[in-house]
Amino acid sequence: MADTPIPLEVRNIKKRFGDTEVLKGLSLEARKGDVITLIGASGSGKSTFLRCMNLLEQPDEGDLIVHGEEIRFKQTKHGREPADWKQVVRMRAKLSMVFQSFNLWSHMTLLENVIEAPIHVLGKPKKEAIEHARALLERVGLTARADAYPAQMSGGQQQRGAIARALAMDPEVMLFDEPTSALDPELVGDVLKVMRDLAEEGRTMVVVTHEMGFARDVSSQVIYLHQGLVEEAGPPQEVLVNPTSPRLKQFLAPKY
Amino acid sequence: MTELTWLNELLAGNRIFTPQTIGYYWDGLVLTTQLVFLSLVAGLVLAIPLAIGRSSGRRWISLPIYVYTYVFRGTPLLIQLYIIYYGVVFFDGIQQTFLWPILREAFYPALIAFTLNTAAYTTEIFRGAIKATPRGEIEAARAYGMSQGLMMRRIVLPSAFRRALPAYGNEVIFMLHASAIASVVTLMDITGAARFVYARFYAPFEAFLFAAAIYLCLTFAILYFFRYLEKKLLAHLKPQSGN
Amino acid sequence: MIDLHGYGPRLLEGAGVTLQLAVLSLILALILGLLTASAKMSRNWLLHKVATLYTTVIRGVPDLVLMLLLFFGGQMALNVATDAIYDRFGVDWYINLNAFAAGVLTIGFIFGAYMGETFRGAFMAVEHGQIEAGKAYGMSPWLVFRRIRFPQMMRHALPGISNNWMVLLKTTALVSVIGLSDMVRVAAEASRATHEPFTFLIPVAVVYLLIASVSEWMFARLQKRYNVGFGGH
Repeated sequence: MADTPIPLEVRNIKKRFGDTEVLKGLSLEARKGDVITLIGASGSGKSTFLRCMNLLEQPDEGDLIVHGEEIRFKQTKHGREPADWKQVVRMRAKLSMVFQSFNLWSHMTLLENVIEAPIHVLGKPKKEAIEHARALLERVGLTARADAYPAQMSGGQQQRGAIARALAMDPEVMLFDEPTSALDPELVGDVLKVMRDLAEEGRTMVVVTHEMGFARDVSSQVIYLHQGLVEEAGPPQEVLVNPTSPRLKQFLAPKY
Repeated sequence: MTELTWLNELLAGNRIFTPQTIGYYWDGLVLTTQLVFLSLVAGLVLAIPLAIGRSSGRRWISLPIYVYTYVFRGTPLLIQLYIIYYGVVFFDGIQQTFLWPILREAFYPALIAFTLNTAAYTTEIFRGAIKATPRGEIEAARAYGMSQGLMMRRIVLPSAFRRALPAYGNEVIFMLHASAIASVVTLMDITGAARFVYARFYAPFEAFLFAAAIYLCLTFAILYFFRYLEKKLLAHLKPQSGN
Repeated sequence: MIDLHGYGPRLLEGAGVTLQLAVLSLILALILGLLTASAKMSRNWLLHKVATLYTTVIRGVPDLVLMLLLFFGGQMALNVATDAIYDRFGVDWYINLNAFAAGVLTIGFIFGAYMGETFRGAFMAVEHGQIEAGKAYGMSPWLVFRRIRFPQMMRHALPGISNNWMVLLKTTALVSVIGLSDMVRVAAEASRATHEPFTFLIPVAVVYLLIASVSEWMFARLQKRYNVGFGGH
């Protein structure tokens, strides 16, 4: 195990929007099987940090190493950009993201959504992609909805479908961007259950979430961000049960 | 005439843009403006009752109006112009009547065709605006005991006019551009002047680009006028600042 | 039956010319429109300016003036070019700008500007998350365009395309002015010759209405197809 490359390594990421520096030097290392949860108040930079990991946002500084391969950057008049977009495309195919607002492609059925990237990005044969997709849909409990369009599905179904779409890529790391925040409370449970199963089977995951129960029970590491910096990090038993920072204490205090 | 010396100097040595040809374009501008302005006013006057009728629940009122707008919006203005122009010119016995001196001129057939055309488009624009009246405003008017006519006059039409303003601005520009076909029935509007200058000097670029520039200026003038009107009349619809 | 004084076959031919002209111009306008929209959304400053100038000027000048300019001006430019070739290489060449080609080029050029605005609006209406999801799954920009952006854009663009097509169809009548024997020109000629304008012009008007109604029906069907997946709400 020692010589398999680390799935995702991020070092000293900095990002500013105009005059405000939203990320002030953040690092993270996701080893195989790690479930890292990022928590923090809104505006702490946790979603931006996650989006920097697959370059949906361009970090102004910092390194990104995916499965041992370092992403190369260059300076342009628009700021820092990846030097080789082909490398980025290759890297993104190894990290699949689950979005807060699902972002299932609305002009395709659920099954078409799941097979789209495996066929056109990974070059899988269609038949094989469909077989795999059906198995994944069964896993997330959506066999019956394979031919439905996203608009015909509930939010919870859409999000479970989006997880199936992410799994279809056989990703090194799964990135979850507040996957339950846009859901009605009664639909959150199903999605969290799927995520717990994934963690148990040893998937490497980085999760931005507000679900403290999930963070406590499932994650191997919890990172609490405050204003673009790591305020506290460690195993959930320490960070969530015995927080040292007063800010984190306040953040965790029950809200009535 | 001293004011014009600068113009003469500017034009000195220019083969095409002599004071005389500039005069043709000026006359063309006057004719285009007259045609467009008169047909727009007449079309607007026709369109208001037609739009109310078109919004009526009674099909024997709304259906004929719909047929009228469908036909005039669905066929080229050039055909409408030909039908009216040739229809009048070739009408048996018209040459003998006292109306002939007026009707022989292509101006009136063109004016009639343009009026009927813009009235059809304007009717549909207003109908859309009337239909978009918020239900609550109508219910409020009914609740206060307004009659159908009073409600139309005091509540529905004033707000519909404002809503229709952007679309009507487009219609005015559309009419300006459409009026260029007046030159096809021998009228010396801006395009007519350009065609005359082209034929006389065989200078297509100069003749038509100059006309294009005049139309472009007129278009922008109309655009800015309507933008100004919208700002003035639609200010109350914008969300208040500082909320 | 109406007595067409022997103009029947020519009118029919004219109707064919009108239809061909309209369809070919539409294809050209769609291509130009896509290019214009891409130029307007591009980061390249020059491309953006050129596209903006194009759409502004075209929409500020009457179709007929543009048509006359391109037809007569185009002929003159061709003459100058062929004269130069004669002077230099001694090849005697004369290209007559054909009214049909000039019509297609002009109408396509004019409506390319309108289509450009339609496409630009439609591209902007595609939700950003849809494109982001494509990127996040490792799709190249071209793949994102082909598989996500374009099909979703078409749903938003179809009403505008349909609208532009209806206007374009009526604009084809103007080519009769530069000498193309479309159905309007034939009907106008026949009216003058026979002094019976209604006999010829009204049937032509009916043909326009017919084409418009049929295309309305076709666009409604197309819209249904592109609306797939959006009916659930």
